[in-house]
Amino acid sequence: MDAAAIEMTGVRHRYDDTCEILRGIDLTIEPGEVFGFLGHNGAGKTTAINILTTLIVPTSGLARVCGYDVVEQRREVTGCIGYLPSDVRLYGHMTAAENLEFFAKLSGVADPRGAVSETLAFLDCADLADRRVGTFSTGMRQRIGIAQAVVHRPRVLFLDEPTAGLDPLAVRQLRETMLRLNRELGITVFMNTHLLSEVAKVCTTIGVLNHGTLVYKDSIAETIRRFPDEASLEDIYVLMESPPT
Amino acid sequence: MIATIAAHQFRSLRRRRVLSAFGAIMIAVTVLAGVIGWSSHRTIARVYNEAVVLLGADGGAAPPNPFELKPTLSLLSNMAIYVPLIGALLALIVGNLSIADDQSSGIGRLIFSRQVSRSSYFLGKLLGTTAVVAVVLAASLFVSIVALLVANETAPDVGDLSRLVLFYAVSWLYLMVFVLIGMVTVLCTERRSLALLSAIGVWLVITFAVPQFTSGLRPTASLNPVTDPVSTTQTFFRITSHARPFSVSEQYKHASAQILDTASGSAANALVRILPIAGLAVSLALAAFWLVGRHDYSRSTSSG
Repeated sequence: MDAAAIEMTGVRHRYDDTCEILRGIDLTIEPGEVFGFLGHNGAGKTTAINILTTLIVPTSGLARVCGYDVVEQRREVTGCIGYLPSDVRLYGHMTAAENLEFFAKLSGVADPRGAVSETLAFLDCADLADRRVGTFSTGMRQRIGIAQAVVHRPRVLFLDEPTAGLDPLAVRQLRETMLRLNRELGITVFMNTHLLSEVAKVCTTIGVLNHGTLVYKDSIAETIRRFPDEASLEDIYVLMESPPT
Repeated sequence: MIATIAAHQFRSLRRRRVLSAFGAIMIAVTVLAGVIGWSSHRTIARVYNEAVVLLGADGGAAPPNPFELKPTLSLLSNMAIYVPLIGALLALIVGNLSIADDQSSGIGRLIFSRQVSRSSYFLGKLLGTTAVVAVVLAASLFVSIVALLVANETAPDVGDLSRLVLFYAVSWLYLMVFVLIGMVTVLCTERRSLALLSAIGVWLVITFAVPQFTSGLRPTASLNPVTDPVSTTQTFFRITSHARPFSVSEQYKHASAQILDTASGSAANALVRILPIAGLAVSLALAAFWLVGRHDYSRSTSSG
């Protein structure tokens, strides 16, 4: 049986003595899932992604990606993940193809040029290859950002607020891209987001983080079944985030 | 991995026109040094020829042509001033950009979420910036040779060429000190603008302030590699003058003057003078390496 795509056990993280941002997260995401990680600003979503992408080391607890420990087996973890942060800009003075080729080489792709062409074609943005990234709109930059995250065919893709700043058309394109990556390439997607409408359309599972604690995790179908009285996912989200009375 | 990062760094600085701007400025100052040297050569020759005529009219014997006593490379003696003043400032910018771009744009997060170690990243950056400085100085070396060829109307001999190459090698080492200062200041500060200001502050101290103290406030110390006309009597400056071996800009200027044969001392003596520069470069490289290793790449720094 395959290892869980993502496994977090008692993960805690504090930035200093006063600020504990994650307070013991236990979370398992199976391969092939599209997981929506919801939470208010400052809830700890980005910190969780930073731990899972090996950018920071958790204060305590165990985190595994594709069965590899993010602290002890950093090289193996980074070999099987792709990551798109929320506010990344890439190298604006270089073309999309040059940016992607650089990241493909960093990931040890055997034929970087071939991988770039294939990825751009898969994402329907081959026309952007020879244009400088600095001239791109937000939507175009996001598409190239996704391309850099999957150019090496990762098993798990981390997206941090991928819809931030996008117009409705670009949001729809991004949703279709995520679904294709998941269905056609079998990539597990872990997405931090505020956009609840997108979560319902794309994700198979959701988790809600409230002040560093995972207060809810279940499949979308089960969530809707468990909360029949709530009109929308937004109502469920508000319910989850509300302090108990 | 190191080669990939180095090649990318080189390409990045070329695309941002930093390489061409740096190269154009260094070529311009090399031409300027050549023109100034050529002009002084012509002035000395003209004065000498007039003096010979006057002395001949008075029946006096003509002294030897002073220009013939001057070494061939003295034409480029001003390069020893331009490199610390202009080259070092441009090298700071190269060092700053090489690290700051990845931090403020958040690209560092993309790089370190891949199979890239901090050591490979730093060595790649160092190699890329080293190549940029080397290419610029190679272009300046070529222009220097052309300037010597034009001004002296004869090709420099092997000895002069070797000295010229040695001068540019020492200049490369000196400029790398400032590339590394540019890197270290970015890694120590949260804001790009503050990092550049700090780096310029360090450049001012190294280039102007320290030589003033180590030479007993001799005003020409920050510019010219000349010996003390008078020794200082103030105790404070007598003490600070003992730190002269650590005044890297003075050491560079004296070493350059010896290599270009415009000051007394052999090229071998000059190599002893560059030891503090090499020591500082290695220390800064270790500091930058350590700072890259502990930098938090999970967040972007301010680009302001």
